[in-house]
Amino acid sequence: MKRIRLGVLFSYIILFIFAVITVFPFIYMILGGLMSFQETTSIPPTLIPHHFEWSNYATVFARAPFGRYFFNTVLTASVTTIVSLFNSLLGAFAMVNLRFKGKGLIQLVLLSLLMVPGEAIIFTNYNTIAHMGLLNTYVGLVLPFLTSIFYMYYLQSYFGSISDTIYKAAMIDGASDWDYIWKILVPMSKGGLFTVGLLSFISGWNSFLWPLLVTNEDTMRLLNNGLSAFASDAGSETQLQLAAATLTVLPILILYLIFRKQIIKGVVRNDLKG
Amino acid sequence: MKTNQKKAWLFLAPTIIFVTLFSIYPILRAFGMSFQGGSLIDLHWNGFSNYQYIFNDPEFWLAIKNTVLYAVISVPVGLAISIMLAWIIFDKVKHKSFFETTFFMPYVTSTIAIGIVFRYIFNGDYGMLNFLLRSLHLPAPDWIDDPAMSLTTIIIFGIWSSLAFNIVILMGALRNIDPNFYTIADMYGASGRDKFWRITMPELVPTIAFLLTMNVIGAFKIYTSVYALFNGQAGVGNSGTTAVFYIYNKFQIVGTPGVAMAATVILFLIILFATFLQRKMMKKVGEN
Amino acid sequence: MDNNKFVEVKNLRKVYDNGHEAIKNVSFSVKKGDLVCLLGPSGCGKTTILNMLAGLLNPTEGDILFNGKSVIKVAPKDRHIGYVFQNYALYPHMTVLQNVMFPLIVGANKKSKAEAKEIATKYMELTQITELADQKPGNLSGGQQQRVAIARALVQEPQILLMDEPLSNLDARLRLKIREEIRSLVKTVGITTLFVTHDQEEALSIGDKIILFNDGIIQQDDLGQNFYLEPNNYFVANFVGNPVIDNFKVTKTANEIKSSQFTINLADMEQSRFKRELPDGEYVLSVRPENIVPDPDGLFETKVDDIELIGRERILKFTFDNQQVRSLINLEAPIKHGDVVKLKMRLNRVFLFTPEGERVY
Ligand SMILES: Nc1ncnc2c1ncn2[C@@H]1O[C@H](COP(=O)(O)OP(=O)(O)OP(=O)(O)O)[C@@H](O)[C@H]1O
Ligand SMILES: [Mg+2]
Repeated sequence: MKRIRLGVLFSYIILFIFAVITVFPFIYMILGGLMSFQETTSIPPTLIPHHFEWSNYATVFARAPFGRYFFNTVLTASVTTIVSLFNSLLGAFAMVNLRFKGKGLIQLVLLSLLMVPGEAIIFTNYNTIAHMGLLNTYVGLVLPFLTSIFYMYYLQSYFGSISDTIYKAAMIDGASDWDYIWKILVPMSKGGLFTVGLLSFISGWNSFLWPLLVTNEDTMRLLNNGLSAFASDAGSETQLQLAAATLTVLPILILYLIFRKQIIKGVVRNDLKG
Repeated sequence: MKTNQKKAWLFLAPTIIFVTLFSIYPILRAFGMSFQGGSLIDLHWNGFSNYQYIFNDPEFWLAIKNTVLYAVISVPVGLAISIMLAWIIFDKVKHKSFFETTFFMPYVTSTIAIGIVFRYIFNGDYGMLNFLLRSLHLPAPDWIDDPAMSLTTIIIFGIWSSLAFNIVILMGALRNIDPNFYTIADMYGASGRDKFWRITMPELVPTIAFLLTMNVIGAFKIYTSVYALFNGQAGVGNSGTTAVFYIYNKFQIVGTPGVAMAATVILFLIILFATFLQRKMMKKVGEN
Repeated sequence: MDNNKFVEVKNLRKVYDNGHEAIKNVSFSVKKGDLVCLLGPSGCGKTTILNMLAGLLNPTEGDILFNGKSVIKVAPKDRHIGYVFQNYALYPHMTVLQNVMFPLIVGANKKSKAEAKEIATKYMELTQITELADQKPGNLSGGQQQRVAIARALVQEPQILLMDEPLSNLDARLRLKIREEIRSLVKTVGITTLFVTHDQEEALSIGDKIILFNDGIIQQDDLGQNFYLEPNNYFVANFVGNPVIDNFKVTKTANEIKSSQFTINLADMEQSRFKRELPDGEYVLSVRPENIVPDPDGLFETKVDDIELIGRERILKFTFDNQQVRSLINLEAPIKHGDVVKLKMRLNRVFLFTPEGERVY
């Protein structure tokens, strides 16, 4: 009896330690962003600032165009999300509900491409974008991401779980494919589409390597590139770096905490099937 | 209804166009470029010399060594910790979704931002980590500025980041195990340890195989977290360089895209091989 | 135009992509305004036929004519049909009213919202679901969902209504009630209806005529009572009837039919019922349980193994050649479990089949 209780206690301690390790960087980031320079470099380290230096944020905005970064990031993440969702929706509909020659081949090609790591093609894509003269443009930032095999595959499994007699019923009711997609498929898959949208937006928000490649003008930078450039420039001013990091993380963290159920469910679902 | 509904191609058109342009073409192009020399604007055929070059380049071997070491250490350790934590949450905790939400946070947040925090925590002089180590009278190395520590630091950060996805997926799998298995085991008086090794683990094998594949592929692509930890560098004196770092460097900084693409092809082959090896291994485990 | 052939199916054949030949060669016709039941065991291809009629599946061979015109090349929405699916296929995110209105507000000849609502309301009244207008299908009982599906199928005022086992998801009592409602509804509307079921009792009670399928072909296309009285073949005789028909293995010699326990003189049988000259050999003698009854002058003697009470009648069960055989008797007959009785067959009501299933008497 006693041994079992000890085991449980031990488990709780481990869980607690790891939970702290996971959460601590976030808390420390927010607190550190409100410290004074002295506090960030003090030994022993400061945990809670004496006085919240909100002015750090003003300094960050004054030193680098974070407003512009925000705008760029929201714009590109939204456009990629909406357009790739739209394309995946149409593609997944065709793969699930229509019968045509070559479907098996398409499926095979798409599944194989799913295995190719993005890093293997990102540099040649840079080449393409450069050839098109689209460096430092919004179009260049979003173009390769306007379709997503991954999300299309996800939606396929989502649509596949809708009974195919629903599609047949719609055909008999006189609905066109377009009617079916917008009046039946989309409303019936709201949850799935929303989850895919969220995941896509989050990954757009956190994108780094691609924008690093195709932009070098400050006005075209996305949040993470801006942040990393700012971190280099701010050198040893850790409190400013942390304030800027907080700016980058907080919006998405809030989004996450609001929609945590959908997001986690979405991640579990698409990966167990994959 | 027609058996060949050609309109399907209309619906697939955007996907096919973009996929061809930005997935299929670049793969072929990368392969082709790996046999070409010169800069981006004037490429010419030069056979296998790019491959010769990288195989004789000590920096390439360092990058591969680091990448492989990173994968071989961070993936199993991360997975083991994840399994332990997922099992504790699943088996012993009431507020499962609270812990799930907590542990998943790193997955949705920017690596760059968190890397900045880690750089601060890992700081040799005034970092929180070394403060703790010193107060416990443990050695407190210079995590960031000592070249010998670069890889260790990267691995720790990698493990921290990998828990999120692993735990959530494992929780999903644990929830899918038929609870009757445990009820029956209880009837036979199985201990907690028996249940874990005889029911839980075998049921988790496919999920673990999946996570292993995902994690290894992810590990071979490591770039952003190194960039974030060392402020755009690959550690002091390039000590923490990785395959993608090498590729980026050869492509963008040095301006030899052919070499970069040769390295890409090699990286791709390594990933393919690792995936294949794992599939085989997991099949064996599954059979036993 | 021939009203007797309002729906006509000619030599229909369907081979699925995987090579499975679900329908081999099927031809039948339906009279305008009739309610015809397509009956057959599970997996015999009933849904396949309905889907081909609806245009949801392409026949491999053969032709389908509505009102004398081939509809093979006509899209489902232009065939003027209503379809009630086996699982109803209601749109779960729409209310009942929206479900019923849906066919009217999409496609080429869509109506104004107000007009659509008016028509939908009319059919919802007819199917008695007006109070449910604002409910989602998920909140409805099986019977209610079924009515919504029928209202949705009727709202386009189609010429032909196809129903795929519309009652199979309902409990037994509701099934009885609703099948009567369906019959009176389609007769009120006057719509030609094809009703698929695997339940013979349902088919017999609801259909103007029944088409019985098995193995991808039609076994019998006839009025309900003829499936009892004059089954086409061994399959039909065994598929229709409850309790199921009794079968005895017999051998025919010159002028006798012999089983292990009885012998029938051919002269005692009704000569006009022989369909052809019978060569000597093996046959199956089948007789419905109500036509094999205890009688002191019976053909053979047997022990009653068990007695089952079904409503106003009883089934005596006994063993013959290691197989169970049944006799249907009325409640009052003083026979008990374990009794030995003599049984007699009404020879003008028995059937004789060849081992291949062909009926010869
Ligand atoms: N898409 C398909 N591909 C291959 N075979 C199919 C397909 N659909 C149905 N079948 C097969 O064709 C046969 C007839 O199927 P169908 O659905 O028409 O039967 P049914 O009479 O409606 O059965 P039930 O009473 O169970 O609904 C079955 O053996 C079935 O397995
Ligand atoms: Mg069916």
